[in-house]
Amino acid sequence: MPKCWIMQAFCLVVVMNRDANSLEQEVLLFSVLRQRLGKSHITVVIEEGMNGADLLDRLSEQYPALAPYRSMIRLAVNQVYVSEAVPLFQGDEIALITPVSGG
Amino acid sequence: MVDKSVIAMKNNKQWVEIQYEPLDIQAAFRFLQTAAAGGIDLFVGVTRQWTENQETIRLEYECYPAMALKEMKRLANKACDEWPVERVCLLHRLGVVGVSEASVIVGVATPHRTEAFTACRFLIDTLKKQVPIWKREVFADGTTGWIEGTMLPENE
Repeated sequence: MPKCWIMQAFCLVVVMNRDANSLEQEVLLFSVLRQRLGKSHITVVIEEGMNGADLLDRLSEQYPALAPYRSMIRLAVNQVYVSEAVPLFQGDEIALITPVSGG
Repeated sequence: MVDKSVIAMKNNKQWVEIQYEPLDIQAAFRFLQTAAAGGIDLFVGVTRQWTENQETIRLEYECYPAMALKEMKRLANKACDEWPVERVCLLHRLGVVGVSEASVIVGVATPHRTEAFTACRFLIDTLKKQVPIWKREVFADGTTGWIEGTMLPENE
């Protein structure tokens, strides 16, 4: 099944703003983070050379409601779990994953 | 928050689906039936009413749809690589799941029972740690709470 179909169906396509050097894009939130922050995504500016840890540190400063979860959050980039050391790039689909509880 | 539509991947060996509608155990069993299998293992996760002295009235599930489906497919593939799996299904429900209703079905068909048990156990245990699905518990006293998994997803 083509990936683009799934992405369109759920409107998870990353929105980007190509102004000058700032690359604004969405970070997807679920579960407790979505509830605490009151939204299903937040917009961040991805700077060149920024990695996952930089992003998570910045977000926990910017959003105090997110800070207590900082150590539990795992980053997913393009729908795959990645290490925080992974550099982020323009157009990545970024999501913050708190410990899951399916089943 | 998400579209009510179903996301699914189904071929003649694997069936992975995330849906709001109640799960159909008979349909899962029919899918798993094949002449090559001598054992079919079905695990069904259901909503438990009591956790110690706290009463649950329902669970509410949500997921990161595209990634959840992708992870479930990855687990199904891993089971097929590891054991002689003839058929495998991983079906998960979203939204409200009442007491005793099924939230997840994991089914495996293998030539002999040992592998079916092993693969089924692997699939449900790993699903609970890896697949981006979350549940919120609604208690009889009106309070609610997100269940936070005790195991962090592994980075792979």
